[in-house]
Amino acid sequence: MREMYLSALLAALPVVVTCGVLSVPVVVKRLGFVGQGVSHAAFGGVGVAALVGAFGLMPATEWNAALAQMCIIVAFCGAAALGIAAVSDRRAMPVDTAIGVFLVASMAVGAVLVQVSRGVAEQRGHPGMVQSWESILFGSVIGAGWGEVVISAAVCCIVLGTLWWWRRPLTFWALDEESARAFGVPGGRMKTILMLLLAVAVVAAMKLAGVILATALLVLPGATALKLTVRLRRAVVLACVLGIGGLLAGLVLSIETDWQTGPSVVLVLTVLFFAVTLAKSRGVLGAA
Amino acid sequence: MAEAAVNLEQVSFTYPGAAAPALEQVTLRVEAGERLGILGPNGGGKSTLLKLILGLLEGASGVITVCGMTPRAARLAGLIGYVPQRSEAELGAPVSAREAVLLAATWRLAPWKRVPRGVAEHADRLLGLVGARAFADKPIGSLSGGQMQRVLIARALVCGAKILALDEPTVGIDAAGQRTFAVLLANVHRELKVTILTVTHDLRAVAASSDRVACLAKRLHSHMSPQGLTPQVLAELFSHDVAGLRGALGGVHIHAHGAQEPCPEAPHGVHGCGHDHGPDHGHPEHKHGDTKTGGGRADS
Repeated sequence: MREMYLSALLAALPVVVTCGVLSVPVVVKRLGFVGQGVSHAAFGGVGVAALVGAFGLMPATEWNAALAQMCIIVAFCGAAALGIAAVSDRRAMPVDTAIGVFLVASMAVGAVLVQVSRGVAEQRGHPGMVQSWESILFGSVIGAGWGEVVISAAVCCIVLGTLWWWRRPLTFWALDEESARAFGVPGGRMKTILMLLLAVAVVAAMKLAGVILATALLVLPGATALKLTVRLRRAVVLACVLGIGGLLAGLVLSIETDWQTGPSVVLVLTVLFFAVTLAKSRGVLGAA
Repeated sequence: MAEAAVNLEQVSFTYPGAAAPALEQVTLRVEAGERLGILGPNGGGKSTLLKLILGLLEGASGVITVCGMTPRAARLAGLIGYVPQRSEAELGAPVSAREAVLLAATWRLAPWKRVPRGVAEHADRLLGLVGARAFADKPIGSLSGGQMQRVLIARALVCGAKILALDEPTVGIDAAGQRTFAVLLANVHRELKVTILTVTHDLRAVAASSDRVACLAKRLHSHMSPQGLTPQVLAELFSHDVAGLRGALGGVHIHAHGAQEPCPEAPHGVHGCGHDHGPDHGHPEHKHGDTKTGGGRADS
């Protein structure tokens, strides 16, 4: 039992750190709804992965199957993120319309492919879906294997490393796109990087909070931190601390009440957000 | 002849998909160290001209050179510093005024390198020159309109720009703030000897901070000293709304001595030359560019 919670904690820690750091640019660039669209696009990726599994094309070991499924979902979410960015950039349609279109299209594709994959899997005797619908919707970090711990840590390193490498142009671009472009910052590349990181983080967050609540991890820590400080580095550190605190408290809440872990973590983060907002509005907390 | 800071020859530009050109046959030479105001109605092509000079828009016919280079090369070499309308900045960003200036100077720096002390000192000197040192550590979102403009000017100059390009710098700033801004620009010009291009539809702002004024309404209508903007001309222009400005600029040819005369091509009894110099309401620039009014915060 203890090992089960330990592996869950170790798998979730890199996720909340990744999402915490990324939540600051997401909030500053007002990409929360984009994150929602990208996370729901994961349904399409789940459907493709289920179909691949039904045809027996997934790797045999659980670790490799989880990795392969994650790669497929990341590819799907990344394509959706870039599609939303491209459509809104060209002003072909308003960004919220683009998100709405990608969101429902991906969910529909996912639902249809999962149904098809069930039929194929029955015929061919392969496992099909790697995850249950409930775990896709709300996450299932309890019982995460050591393979998932490694994948989470690797995703965390990739996202944080990329953010650190591009931090200066990315911050300049996030602050003022038009001016940054005038100074030579490649705005298109910055947007692509941020969107792909968002897609990777969303897929990582799905394990903890599921498709429905993954965006919460990419919005709540940053939104709360930005209420507490007006300094970038402090905001990033605070968002990570809040994410970790929310995870630990959420895990305890989940164990004590037998509620699902993902929603418990998101509930704690939501309560923190409203508590800080209330304290700020009453003048109890000042900006640091 | 000395190399011009900016030289445009017969420049025309039409946005993709637009029915009418945004700029037609614009020829303009700006000398090094000159302060040029580019004045005109909304949709008159001012911001388009600025973006062409900055190399942010491409596909214009004619010739554009900036310090003898293509606009894009000059921009990437840091020779031209750009101050956008302040509404472009994400005001919620957790970045101080000093950090905003430093970002412009250091975004190309290798990620493992620290910001060199010389660069930080140069940024501080510029913040001092524009009178922004007192609030350099404040988050940019907490700055007033006038304070923000100072920071943006310091940022535009931090890479050693020879040309400072300002897009509607006085939008949302009150009359006292505009006077202070004119003094600030004069200081920057005196100290750094930079060429200053100011795009505006605010006649008072352009008159207070320019050596010459280019009146632009798709075509270049005149190119003169601000003294040519006589009270009669100002009254005529300020008495019109956007649509009226179209008539005013289209129907009056302004000369350096300030006299007005009807356009020779104007039909009898019609105040206007019959050319459509004004805003194209289906035009992308009119929809997305000049109509912005900024945050509207008062200067402090």
